[in-house]
Amino acid sequence: MPKISVDDRVLEVPEGMTILQALDAAGLLMNGVDVPHYCWHPKLSIDGSCRLCQVEIEGMPKLQIACNTLVQDGMVVRTTTERVTKAREGVMELLLVNHPLDCPICDQAGECKLQDYAYEYGALESRTREPRRALKKRVDLGPTIVFDQERCILCRRCVRFCREVPGTGELGVVNRGDRSVIETFPGTQLENDYSMNVADICPVGALTTKDFRFKIRVWFLEDVPGICTGCANGCNVHLGVANNRVYRYVPRRNDAVNQTWICDEGRLSYKEIEAGRLRAASVRGERGAVEVSVEAALAEAAARLRGVLESRGPGAVGVLASPHATNEDLAVLRRLADALGVETRGVAVPVGRADQLLIKAEKAANAEGARRLGFGPAAAVLDRVRQGAVLALLVLGHDALDSGDLASPAELAGLAALVVLDTHQSPLHLVAHVAVPTRVAAEKHGTLTNAAGLVQAVQPAVEPAFEAWSEAEALWRLGVLLGLEGFAGRFDPGAFAAAAS
Amino acid sequence: MVISPATRARIDAEIAKYPKPRGALLPALHLVHADHGHVSPETARELAEIFAIAPVDVLEVVSFYNMFFDRPQPRHHAYVCTNLPCSLRGARALLRRLEEHLGVHAGEPTPDGRLVLGHEECLGACGYAPMMRVDGDYHEDLDFERARRILDALE
Amino acid sequence: MLKVPYTTGYLSEHFADDEYATLAGYERRGGYRALKQVLAEVAPADVIELVKASGLQGRGGAGFSTGLKWSFMPKDGGKPKYLVCNADESEPGSFKDRILMERGPHQLLEGILIAAWATGAEKTFVYVRGEYREPADRVERAVAELYEKGYLGPKVMKKAFRHDVVVQRGAGAYICGEETGLLESLEGKKGQPRKKPPFPAQHGAFGMPTTVNNVETFCHVPHIVLRGAEWFRGIGTEKSPGSTIFGVSGQVQRPGLFELPLGTRLDEIVFEHAGGPLPGRKVKGVIPGGMSMPILPAHQLDVPMANEFLRERKTMLGTGGIMVMDDTTCMVRASCVISWFFRDESCGQCTQCREGTGWMHKIIERIERGAGQPDDLAILLDVAAKMEGQTICAFSDAAAWPVQGMLRHFREDFERHVALGHCPFGECFEL
Repeated sequence: MPKISVDDRVLEVPEGMTILQALDAAGLLMNGVDVPHYCWHPKLSIDGSCRLCQVEIEGMPKLQIACNTLVQDGMVVRTTTERVTKAREGVMELLLVNHPLDCPICDQAGECKLQDYAYEYGALESRTREPRRALKKRVDLGPTIVFDQERCILCRRCVRFCREVPGTGELGVVNRGDRSVIETFPGTQLENDYSMNVADICPVGALTTKDFRFKIRVWFLEDVPGICTGCANGCNVHLGVANNRVYRYVPRRNDAVNQTWICDEGRLSYKEIEAGRLRAASVRGERGAVEVSVEAALAEAAARLRGVLESRGPGAVGVLASPHATNEDLAVLRRLADALGVETRGVAVPVGRADQLLIKAEKAANAEGARRLGFGPAAAVLDRVRQGAVLALLVLGHDALDSGDLASPAELAGLAALVVLDTHQSPLHLVAHVAVPTRVAAEKHGTLTNAAGLVQAVQPAVEPAFEAWSEAEALWRLGVLLGLEGFAGRFDPGAFAAAAS
Repeated sequence: MVISPATRARIDAEIAKYPKPRGALLPALHLVHADHGHVSPETARELAEIFAIAPVDVLEVVSFYNMFFDRPQPRHHAYVCTNLPCSLRGARALLRRLEEHLGVHAGEPTPDGRLVLGHEECLGACGYAPMMRVDGDYHEDLDFERARRILDALE
Repeated sequence: MLKVPYTTGYLSEHFADDEYATLAGYERRGGYRALKQVLAEVAPADVIELVKASGLQGRGGAGFSTGLKWSFMPKDGGKPKYLVCNADESEPGSFKDRILMERGPHQLLEGILIAAWATGAEKTFVYVRGEYREPADRVERAVAELYEKGYLGPKVMKKAFRHDVVVQRGAGAYICGEETGLLESLEGKKGQPRKKPPFPAQHGAFGMPTTVNNVETFCHVPHIVLRGAEWFRGIGTEKSPGSTIFGVSGQVQRPGLFELPLGTRLDEIVFEHAGGPLPGRKVKGVIPGGMSMPILPAHQLDVPMANEFLRERKTMLGTGGIMVMDDTTCMVRASCVISWFFRDESCGQCTQCREGTGWMHKIIERIERGAGQPDDLAILLDVAAKMEGQTICAFSDAAAWPVQGMLRHFREDFERHVALGHCPFGECFEL
């Protein structure tokens, strides 16, 4: 493998890489070795137009752009010399000549590469006396994106993204020279399943999402690593958290799972952390559902289940797992079912459209995890319900309705005991005897197994504003209330994991 | 269809000359301009289809080049070169007199849609300045009278 | 004014003969003898050696050794190889390629065919700027004549040598004269120059190995074949052999074309051949090689027109477009025209060029209006320095050089504007 030296640090680099790719692969780019850049992106074609990534290479009289220079054995690269510093200053100054002074009202402030690099590599004062070019400032580019032509630095990442990733190619650079401007074809919009990624890759506030526009300043947000739960791909994200709320998802780079992208639907699924939540436990009496504490609801659930167990035995009980619950939640469910002697168990997985990129057909993040923990197709469980063989059902979530395995909640109306542990409201709760709110992935520790079998961790980013337990905690308590062997005290994830392995 | 079958046939003939079809895009755009004087959004869509590219790709090309237009044009184009060698020989004064004569500013079409008078960059006639390019024809070694007569003769 | 050059040489000696533009007329004057000779008795590699030995340099402005450039084409027969004739002539002050195409299209095509034989190219794209309708028409007519006679097609002159020529017209963008900008335009895209590497000899037109040469460069080739490298080296200077067609324009008595050996002195061209300044005026400055090249003041015109000498004066031969300005001309106003051109023609890719051309023009225009500040000149020079040597193509450098040249030799014109708050040159052309 070729060996190069960068600022006297020796790197072994695979053949065929550019200097920037090599630094990126070694985890050094902007993390030990500073080569600021705009137009280059690790997942897009090389552009070479911003000129910011120029570096000095021994033996070459002119500065070279690191994004387009292939490494060669023995290459000596320097990124901190006077010439490089002056070149960067030059590029920054020229970019700022026409850039509007929008920082006070621009969403990008705080995560803006123009701000960052102007501060790090630019000159202290502006020398321009000329009026800046005046262009359109609020172009409605499509359903998800607003475009400010004046802020654009013409790095063309967005144009390349649309051509190369979703392949929809809605954007182009029209005119030439300093009249260049990015546009869509008249009558067309920026509209594809991945459109909002352009706001991530835009180094400045030219492309921003309508969803996040003016919501909050990014420096108030804490970035908590997490996983999108919209489908079985398990795209890595950062949850932007402030005031115990999630304000947005942004994709987190994972070359094995989602590169640097996320689909729009997944990106917006952060809203589900708050919207439509089941906010209170309830117990169904003669006059309808009554709100109770979780503890009280679990006690009622235990009573009902015990009723069926004692009169008909474990063969009359079934469990439906949720493909949204974590592996830890589902492991407790399995342990509970094992302890009860319940063999009728399954999981319903809603499916939908898939594509060649990230979007998977299974619309839940842990379908594979559920299967690997022994939960087979939900049909097996529901058929036994329809046959009258199963009279009690312990259900996590309401996926059987979403998947179509259940035509309607009425199909379960004849059960003697229907206990539902759910994160979100559903018509299913109307026929449940007990409904218990549980936590979503962003509110607990746990792991999820994606479609490719990769196990990824989630952690609590926010606390629910109402009483909600994780499924694991609730099921454990149920086991304690049912007096099952091995279930005692509070759910202890550490002890449980040790025991499970 | 905006592009006539005859023009489509000529476009196809151009495509045959190139290792990749898109090589014939500029020739196709010239043919379209010869027919209609500009590329409408509809025409751009038809060209995008013929060349298997996105409509915005056609728009990029049309907007990049001085000789292509994305909106309807007056019947005649008259461009006076105002680059340096021509300016040194009175091209800008000539343009100003022609503007006065026509009652327009350079770049604005005459109200009757007959003609647009404009600036153009160096046309390779530096030794024969001042000069203008009218509907593609070069008129060199101009004085105001000759230039005026040429423009007045345009219907 | 005569359209044919005032002084002629081996390139243009027959241009007054209208028939010379036809195949019959060209052959009557000895045309296509060089090609016949090459096809009969000179191996391709030997043709390359001949052109190398002649020292012919590209006439499109860069001055690169033509033979060396041809030798970069791969020797193996793997991929189809192409030639491109750069007929995009758009450099202000240059109008020589135009007459070479209008009056000597077969001379050009013979040079192309010899180059094709030498490099193994199977097709030539002649990319003519869109505004050159007449020249492109004439080249197309000449091409049709060649197909009819069997000098183009599957068996050129009945030899085992196929070649085709396609003429494509540009559409008005100066940057399409840049080698790789041309290739992009040829491929039906915006004429935005490519990053290098890869170079055209590896990855050129439609991804295939390609050599791009200027119109005039090809035109020298038949003469070199017929008369030899020694003969060619006997004309011009040691480092810059051969002749070229200079174009003189601006404030002279006899603007026009002059075929002369390289190394002819600039003052001789301006004062003798072009008749010197207009009556009652004095020469103030001369741009020697097309508008990208830095200007020379009147007292520095005693320089042979060849790169090795012009470089000492911090300018270059470029395309030999000589523009003469006299003492009525305001150099700030001239700089407005020049800097506007570069601002208008920048393709817009590279930050320094896109923003720098705009900024420089705005500053110069403000100085001309009388609103210049003393430190504007330092800012101009600093911006020019930032535009040099750091971009995808040399357009950014070409935009910076004229400003540097003007401030090097005519700083006083700028300083007077700043001090006075208006332009002191009442007789200069109005913008």
